[in-house]
Amino acid sequence: MATEIVGGAAVAPPTSVSGGRAARLRQLAPFLPAGLILVGLFFVPLALMLVFSFWSTDENLDVVPVWSLENYANFFDNPTYVRTLAKTMIMGAGVTLACLVGAFAVAYFLARYVSRRWARLALLVIIVPFWTSYLLRVYSWQAILGEHGALNEVLMALGLISEPSRLFVYNDVGTFIVLVYVYVPFAALVLYASLDRFDFTQLTAAQDLGARPIQAFRHILLPQIRPGIITACIFVFIPILGEFLTPSMVGGAQGLLIANLLANFFKNALIPEGAAVGFMIAAFVILLLVVFRRYLRVEDVVARA
Amino acid sequence: MPSRVDPLETMPVSRYAGAVRWSLRLWFGALMVFLYLPIMFMVVFSFDESRTPGLPITGFTLHWYDVLLDNRVLLGAVGNSITVAVVVAILATAIGTMAAFVLVRGGIRYPNATRIAFTLPIMVPGVLIGVSLLIYFARAADLPLSLGTVIAGQLVVTVPFVVLIVASRLQGVDRALEWAAADLGASPRQAIRHIVLPLIAPAILAGALISVTLSIDEFVITWFTVGAQSTLPTYIYTRIKFGVTPEVNAVATIMLVATLLTFGIASLILGRARRLPGRRRGPVRA
Repeated sequence: MATEIVGGAAVAPPTSVSGGRAARLRQLAPFLPAGLILVGLFFVPLALMLVFSFWSTDENLDVVPVWSLENYANFFDNPTYVRTLAKTMIMGAGVTLACLVGAFAVAYFLARYVSRRWARLALLVIIVPFWTSYLLRVYSWQAILGEHGALNEVLMALGLISEPSRLFVYNDVGTFIVLVYVYVPFAALVLYASLDRFDFTQLTAAQDLGARPIQAFRHILLPQIRPGIITACIFVFIPILGEFLTPSMVGGAQGLLIANLLANFFKNALIPEGAAVGFMIAAFVILLLVVFRRYLRVEDVVARA
Repeated sequence: MPSRVDPLETMPVSRYAGAVRWSLRLWFGALMVFLYLPIMFMVVFSFDESRTPGLPITGFTLHWYDVLLDNRVLLGAVGNSITVAVVVAILATAIGTMAAFVLVRGGIRYPNATRIAFTLPIMVPGVLIGVSLLIYFARAADLPLSLGTVIAGQLVVTVPFVVLIVASRLQGVDRALEWAAADLGASPRQAIRHIVLPLIAPAILAGALISVTLSIDEFVITWFTVGAQSTLPTYIYTRIKFGVTPEVNAVATIMLVATLLTFGIASLILGRARRLPGRRRGPVRA
């Protein structure tokens, strides 16, 4: 925090009374409830999940505290599980790419061609759906993409198809569309924050100096908004690793992702097996966050949302 | 930041510039349709006579709203959701605000690491928080699952939101104002009460609102930590899984209106108290 000089006179902070341990404890006391929640209800349960992932279940579904890597080995021995994991990664990458492209065009438009006042308003309108029920928004996609849904009706009315198509929902296409729908506002918000700081006259200057528009875009604009792009990727990709609602509602039997696998293990009381899947996701998420921590401006997004 | 109507901007750089601009505008419109289409359908179907939501619309009715008011289980779930949301919002706001003070004003040995630690529950997918809490409550702590465990679970995500929001606002409050108050005879407690709290009130309000909204809509953590009772989202989920239920659209519409009203009122209140006095580098976003 910066200490500012007001009106030429330096304002000195009153010397704080620093006493021994008791004073320090009193100073820390307001932090304790939050610290306890963070440690006791977040870090400890995650650590517990790691411990359980090394244990196993017997025939009575009781947890046996025998240490082994069996749950992890079994996971990778099962082709269905491995395929689900691979599909989750591909789905995550695809949705992230789609959100990035879709949101970039909008963010660029708002940052470059719209006054800041209207751009802010537009972003607010983009983010409002996020604050309405997630569950119900996904639910209403069923009515749009379904066999008797609006999309089929429109396509038939246009004469593009002759009978209702079942290709849009209860498969990976449905999951993809809905996931893009859910996460594109995040991407737009993050990308706008970064484009808003960009001075667009630089593009004109580059072109003045002979750069083609594509070159100016690649060599001038992209490097400057790279942190924003990385943040957007992280904000879209990580939640998809934990998506189990959308696939279970519009993904059908084939469209399940890794988090559905996790939820099913827990539903069937196979806790150590589920814990192993859970810990793998958690480790991957934390790895991503650590690797890209320099670029992440979580507070930016939190404060704007 | 230079002004946006730069003379250079009016110079045609590319003969495609106009086309690019128009396609961007169209794209923006398309995205808006994409974002609002499901919400629009939800509202329309809640007034549709047909039992199966779909086109064409058969006729206007308020029947589903009527059905909803007779549904005891649903109303019970709504009651549970509201109870949980109120408790979560009050606790998260109080706990988070207190922590933000310590975080910004010193006392924590590694403030940056602590801040990063608080972003983790926001970034880590809810399903992981849900299942790890399930293991914790059911297998380690031996706590029966109830609305209490739901509240505990939701605090894990809401407290960090409040901490980060309030801390970011508190960082922008000029301490000279407090020193001035102290100079004029205010006790530290009075200075906080009459100088600092009014300045960070918008952030506290924003934190409380976000807590309520997150709590009411929270599904994943609740799903794993709730016992025999149900909250509105878990009830809706089981009903949707069970079959087509038009009254769900009616609930959704009511919730949509409630959310919009809350946000409208909040932005009115927040809009008034946006700027922080005593800083030269411009306003700090709450």
